[in-house]
Amino acid sequence: MIDVILHALPIAIVASTPLLLAVEGELVVQRSGIINLGIEGMMLTAAMTAVLAQQATKSVLAGFAGGVLGALFVAAIFGLFAIRYRADQIVTGTAINLLALGLTGFVYKAAGGLIFSASPVREVAQYAVVLFAWIAVPIALALLLWMTRFGLRLRASGENPDAVRHAQRYRWSALAIEALLTGMGGAYLSLALSSGFAENMTAGRGFIALSIVIFGRWKVRGAIVGTALFGVAAALQYTLQAMNIGLPFHLLLAVPYVVTLLILCGIAGRVRAPEALGRRD
Amino acid sequence: MLTLRGITKRFGENVAVDDVTLELRGGEIVAIVGENGAGKTTLMRIAAGELAPDSGTITGADAIGFVHQHFLLVSDFSIAENLALQRAWSFASLRKLEDEAERIIAATGIDLHGPSRRVEELSVGEKSKLELIKAIAKKPRVLILDEPTSVLTPAESDELFAVMRRVASEGTAVVFISHKLPEVLAIADRIVVMRRGRVVLETKSMTADELANAMVDAPLPTSVAPAKNIVAIVGVAGNGQSQLAERFRDEHPDAGLIPEDRTRDGIIAEMSIAENLALRSKTNADALIKLFSIKATSAKQKAGSLSGGNQQKVILARELSRKPNRILAAEPTRGLDIEATAFVHAQLRAAADAGASILLITSDLDEAFALADEIQVIYRGRLSERMPPAVAREKVGALMAGLP
Amino acid sequence: MRAIAAAVAAILLLSLSALAFGRSPVELLNILVTGSVGSRFAIEGTLLKSVPLLLTGLSVALAFRAGVWNIGGEGQFIVGAIAAIVASRYGVIASLAAAMLAGAVWASIATAMRLWRNAPEVLTTILLNFTAIHLLGWCVNGPLQERGAQYPQTDVAAVALPQAGDVHAGILIAITASVAAWFLLYRTAEGLRLRATGFNARAAKWAGIDVDRQLVRAMAISGALAGLAGGIELLGVTHRLFERFAAGYGYSGIAVALLAQLHPLATIASAIFFGALATGAGELQRTADISSNVAIFGQAVVILVLILFGSWRARD
Repeated sequence: MIDVILHALPIAIVASTPLLLAVEGELVVQRSGIINLGIEGMMLTAAMTAVLAQQATKSVLAGFAGGVLGALFVAAIFGLFAIRYRADQIVTGTAINLLALGLTGFVYKAAGGLIFSASPVREVAQYAVVLFAWIAVPIALALLLWMTRFGLRLRASGENPDAVRHAQRYRWSALAIEALLTGMGGAYLSLALSSGFAENMTAGRGFIALSIVIFGRWKVRGAIVGTALFGVAAALQYTLQAMNIGLPFHLLLAVPYVVTLLILCGIAGRVRAPEALGRRD
Repeated sequence: MLTLRGITKRFGENVAVDDVTLELRGGEIVAIVGENGAGKTTLMRIAAGELAPDSGTITGADAIGFVHQHFLLVSDFSIAENLALQRAWSFASLRKLEDEAERIIAATGIDLHGPSRRVEELSVGEKSKLELIKAIAKKPRVLILDEPTSVLTPAESDELFAVMRRVASEGTAVVFISHKLPEVLAIADRIVVMRRGRVVLETKSMTADELANAMVDAPLPTSVAPAKNIVAIVGVAGNGQSQLAERFRDEHPDAGLIPEDRTRDGIIAEMSIAENLALRSKTNADALIKLFSIKATSAKQKAGSLSGGNQQKVILARELSRKPNRILAAEPTRGLDIEATAFVHAQLRAAADAGASILLITSDLDEAFALADEIQVIYRGRLSERMPPAVAREKVGALMAGLP
Repeated sequence: MRAIAAAVAAILLLSLSALAFGRSPVELLNILVTGSVGSRFAIEGTLLKSVPLLLTGLSVALAFRAGVWNIGGEGQFIVGAIAAIVASRYGVIASLAAAMLAGAVWASIATAMRLWRNAPEVLTTILLNFTAIHLLGWCVNGPLQERGAQYPQTDVAAVALPQAGDVHAGILIAITASVAAWFLLYRTAEGLRLRATGFNARAAKWAGIDVDRQLVRAMAISGALAGLAGGIELLGVTHRLFERFAAGYGYSGIAVALLAQLHPLATIASAIFFGALATGAGELQRTADISSNVAIFGQAVVILVLILFGSWRARD
């Protein structure tokens, strides 16, 4: 059993890198007091714009930049409604997801499919992204959030926005950070882990990310542990398949979601969320 | 030092501040007194630059410190982190923040130890000190305190007054808003009385009765003998009253329940008066409106648009019309004017006379002594023994401060 | 009313977006309208699509009114249909009852997780959607697959709803449900308690309402309605299950509910609107080669406009 897990670990880490980036981004945003349900749509859009940018310029770097731009576009709309107009964040997030779904599906069909023959991202670059997500970003976020005045005020915005002047600014900044990270995650998904864009390819990663943020108690440590846990559990689905035991194929596809449900069950008792999370002020 | 001239401020149709001119001078302690809704807080928020006046000028305004009535603290953060929020720095370790905090606190001369403690763990008095430190640390020329003693024990209030005197002696203009006449008379150099948004009186010396009468239109009612069956739990706000009330509610779901926060927990603002009443009462809505003199256009009016006093009447109507055996009344007259307060007291008395046993939770000692025949003090979630009013009068100050 | 303005504004925005793809907005609008109500075929298509939308819309409306974020209509729709086909050998009524029960149970999983483990239902219901989709995949590729085992679909159901032309009796069931929901919300004590809990759960507790119990009931009814939608779609339209059976009806219910400002009777008009949009979008795809994803895009625009106008909340 142990070596099955060990075998699955590296695959898990690489495969759940987009997820981790989303978790890290959403962590920052929720610490500032906003729930962004639209992170699913953000990643989906980024996955598409990354492919579009890469195919237009033949440059992987441009592809990642394209992903970030796509995510920023979605973040701007979400921020406009949720921060500027103080709209209900759940409803706004749901609308954003629908928007992204419709838009990307539309573009996908209009462009006649966005497929490569092989992943345009070289192995070296792949490892760079993985190291970035699993090591560089966590350290940077921990420093930013807990050792700078910017981070202190951002966290205060999520606890008691009245105690901070211009809490909105910190929330917008948080959203921008999330777009940067999620944009890269989406780009990595379509350019490196898959051979291009497919309709609805994020398959709920955004929602899984939201669940992991909660499970990790809004801490960076928790984000890493939670994502790794999830990644291993989900990767087991492939390992089990390869070994021809366990559940039939379609039920195996449901494993990630059931695992996430179980993860959410792991927050027994009172979970201490940032106090002002989701409040419309 | 700070001069306000001709300040007016409206909120919709309500004129909160009506052509007020006021001068604040360094080295002086000024008290602004008045009933709820007289415009005191609004005026001071304008002075501090938090609100813009509709007309009028403010001159001499520079460094102004404001100690708010409702704490602007982050409960999850430590004292040090809360103090660090408004200072200028970019990058620092937690240790460094704590050292800085100790330095700042020492410079203000206020006694607050353990800067690594989370605000959640502090007592209400300590939280109040932290707010004060935040305001004084900036070395303001004008220091405004809004109802600073509303959550302090008598001993803590004395500490606060000592700080205020010291700050004033250093040249700062100190202004405090209060509705507690004894303290005002004890500490203020000058007293400004406001009523309905206007300054009606400015004086340097006056008796308590003269002051009280200047604050209201009608003469105050004389005291009445306490009713039977009413137990009052007194204490400074934030000592576990809410938890006590919720436990009572969960243990006695059939009791009449009058929650502390009437707009948030008492009525459902989006529903009509009739619907709010129907949630618990089987009596006809129009009949109840008449019986309890609720000022509304009709039973269909949305409960959220009623005034505070009328909202409280809706809650009373809903709960008391069921003739419950037990009643919980938490801060039932908070924020109400004199007429509404008298109405609520009369209703509670009537219910007690009819046989209901009432648990009254209040931070208003006068109310407690007027109504109850037994008093208990709550401190940090613990209740003292029950005492008759005469005994309580002596002990209550000490008990509220946590002394045995 | 602002809601109507929102719907109109959304359609206009939608047609204007045609410019981005080098088409004429007027032409797009034209096709949308004729494709949805311009012929008997179109109208029947619109009505057929409106039925599941009405029920999923009611499902979302009731849940939101109780203060519960039930985004799980899609999954409840699917399990409802699965239960319906399994029970179809026992007749229409048994089949639809099974559908409602399955939907209620599926929704209650999320309720249980919220009550026992503090898991936010907005996430658990969505995760259950994905789970249900794969459950369906397993069913039509495995235990419920048609006898020939050629395609990933089930056999035709043992019974079907009575029909008049292409329109089936489900429309009557849906409208009845709408009226019943209205009656429940506005003419019963239970409905009063439900609305109170949705407006202000804290005050509801202080008014002696068992908020947890309200939650359970609201989610169960909500799930049952979505499950019923699935059952009716099976017995009335598709007659067999296959992958992608749900086709977004569950999520579309959200837009339907919000446009109706969570009012059960207004949901009828709202469902017809979105049914028309979906049918018209289908026509767009056929004639102008514009992906039918515009319908989803349109839903999103409507919701965003409603948010902008602040007019999706219940306002009795």
